[in-house]
Amino acid sequence: MNLQLELALSSNLDEGFDLNDRNEERQEENSRLMKRKRSFDETFEEIKSVQVPQTLSLLDHIDLCDEEDRVVGWPPINSWRKKICHHHQNRRGRNTIMNYVTVENGGRDGGERSGGRSNFTYVKVKMEGVGIARKVDLSRHHSYQTLIETLMAMFDNEKVQGYKLTYQDKEGDWLLAGDMPWETFINSVQRLKLLRNGH
Amino acid sequence: MAQSFPEDVLVHVFSFLNCDKDRNAVSLVCKSWYDIERSSRRRIFIGNCYAVSPEILIRRFPDVRAVELKGKPHFADFNLVPEGWGGYVYPWVVSMARAYPWLEEIKLKRMVVTDESLELISKSFKNFKVLVLLSCEGFTTDGLAYIAANCRNLRELDLGESEVEDLSGHWLSHFPDNCTSLVSLNISCLVSEVSFSALERLVARSPNLKTLRLNRAVPLEKLPNLLYCAPQLVELGTGVYFAEIQSDIFSNLAEAFLGCKQLKGLSGFWDVVPAYLPAMYSVCSRITSLNLSYATAQNPDLVHFVSQCSNLQRLWVLDYIEDTGLEALAASCKDLQELRVFPSDPYDAEGNVTLTEQGLVAVSEGCPKLQSVLYFCRQMSNAALVTIARNRPNMIRFRLCIIEPRAPDYLTLEPLDTGFGAIVENCKELRRLSMSGLLTDRVFEYIGTHAKKLEMLSIAFAGNSDLGLHHVLSGCESLRKLEIRDCPFGDKALLANATKLETMRSLWMSSCSVSFGACKLLGQKMPRLNVEVINERGPPDSGPESCPVEKLYVYRTIAGPRVDMPGFVWTMDEHVSSRLSRATE
Repeated sequence: MNLQLELALSSNLDEGFDLNDRNEERQEENSRLMKRKRSFDETFEEIKSVQVPQTLSLLDHIDLCDEEDRVVGWPPINSWRKKICHHHQNRRGRNTIMNYVTVENGGRDGGERSGGRSNFTYVKVKMEGVGIARKVDLSRHHSYQTLIETLMAMFDNEKVQGYKLTYQDKEGDWLLAGDMPWETFINSVQRLKLLRNGH
Repeated sequence: MAQSFPEDVLVHVFSFLNCDKDRNAVSLVCKSWYDIERSSRRRIFIGNCYAVSPEILIRRFPDVRAVELKGKPHFADFNLVPEGWGGYVYPWVVSMARAYPWLEEIKLKRMVVTDESLELISKSFKNFKVLVLLSCEGFTTDGLAYIAANCRNLRELDLGESEVEDLSGHWLSHFPDNCTSLVSLNISCLVSEVSFSALERLVARSPNLKTLRLNRAVPLEKLPNLLYCAPQLVELGTGVYFAEIQSDIFSNLAEAFLGCKQLKGLSGFWDVVPAYLPAMYSVCSRITSLNLSYATAQNPDLVHFVSQCSNLQRLWVLDYIEDTGLEALAASCKDLQELRVFPSDPYDAEGNVTLTEQGLVAVSEGCPKLQSVLYFCRQMSNAALVTIARNRPNMIRFRLCIIEPRAPDYLTLEPLDTGFGAIVENCKELRRLSMSGLLTDRVFEYIGTHAKKLEMLSIAFAGNSDLGLHHVLSGCESLRKLEIRDCPFGDKALLANATKLETMRSLWMSSCSVSFGACKLLGQKMPRLNVEVINERGPPDSGPESCPVEKLYVYRTIAGPRVDMPGFVWTMDEHVSSRLSRATE
């Protein structure tokens, strides 16, 4: 099963997981967002021309932790300091990103953020081909639908079509997102990656 | 008139001239002064090894005792210069081995040094005394073994932050038993363990040893042994500052430090265990230079330690010091001249510490002698920069790195033009400036108008158009080095200010909009410049002339085009077109 990043219904979607249906439901709750079936890049165009809601901009975090995500030579520290940076990370045990994904039951409560919990549900999102990774707060989402909308707004400089959403679970395996219920997903997801179709 | 003073007298008078500027000036007076000066010049500084050749050097200065050479452009420190670019010292060593048998000192920065070079140095100069290799690469510990074994009068061996292929620590044991001349030893960049007993014996038989910087592999428990052998040390770089918490280790350490009455500088502190910092309290009040930039200590241990050093003049520290620590520093260290704050977590956009513009403002307020700043932080405001500028008109070096590229004033969301403008306007002696954050062409207008003493400028992710670059090149009278990355600067400003480039040491531009055609034109029109295009993805002429080059390095030279360029470096001179077309045949 492929969770295509399209709001249009794709014929190969599994039973019981119909983005389109969910789409209809969501419309009532998020009426300022998309109202019809559209392809990915069309949706982008729409988003670009619409005022990005405050809530979405709060999610715009940049994380350059992975070697592969970094802009070359930035920030301007020499290789000796970079070695120390890695060393710090290892010594502190798990990367701070990993620590963020302890999602308690009910972490999805209608997207409400309680002050104390604000950092606990951030996961890193990388898009294949894009240098800079982002972070997204899963606690603000209660479905794949809104997550996808957020992701599309986040990578707003890319005209993307036909990407699929994958995630890394607690065991370190990479899986296609959308296979399991949302609650199970957010309890298990460590990080997200958008891969081009065909990979 | 020139005959009226006997040559001996002139030689004697010139012997009091030590700075190059003065010596260059006297050599312009008349031919005989030129000749006397050149035969009596003993120290040479070459800021760009490709600006001149060994042959030209030797022809003019026949009796040199100390040579300092710099190779790669500064941005090589941040991986912007591809591997294999150049900066080889070997040809220099070969020529100098023939011409300067009495050479005593070689200092190199960002050069490629091979074991072969080190061997040749060790065997060619009978009175060799000083070898300083800063940010160099290309050699192994085998090369160091030659230096240790053959340089009978070695005074100084400083490996800086070089990349050394560490085959074993055995090289240190090559220092002969009768070598007692060491004054300074810096092996902090080495990874392998050196034989501790060999090190201890070496230190013990070096009564003049003033600087000792150990590598990480030297355990903390053994440090007292070395301190007892060298209580006269002025500068100490510890090895790892980590050990199990044991009271006898602590007391040994504290007692050993008690004996170090001359100690003024401390560095090292890898893997620091804060519990051991108080062992140094007895020396803190004498410390003027403290490098804690590899120390992962946090507050309150960190600030408590730093505050003990009331005579501190130079502090390098990680951002664990936080604003609160810097406020304490401002209150207790009134002699502070230089502050460098490095990021503990440079790749995390959010940051894990509370270090903001407030810390720097506090230090600028509390430390009247503060003149040199390198500061990594995650937010800045125009207001803070204006305050800093007004507090510290005596600032000479100001390097600010806001971690996120193009970050605006976090309070007003405006560009930081006004803030940096205040810096250049108020700090009239400013010699070095690095900028970051959101910056428009306007800031360059301020720089061109006010920064008349500015010698080195580093720009990244800034500006809107060629006008920005034009302001800098046309306004900054003292500019020697300009390095630019990821700015929308193109052909116009560069070509309009071509002659300016002959008055500078070098210009670096990467990921900008300078076209191949403009580079060719510049190279053809300016024979005293080397215009080098660095294109790793393929020859620059594989696309249209309007295509931007990846990286451009322009420098003045009297040695002509390089002859040792790798495949990805093209020199733009009058033959460039024919050379490129031949290459694609």
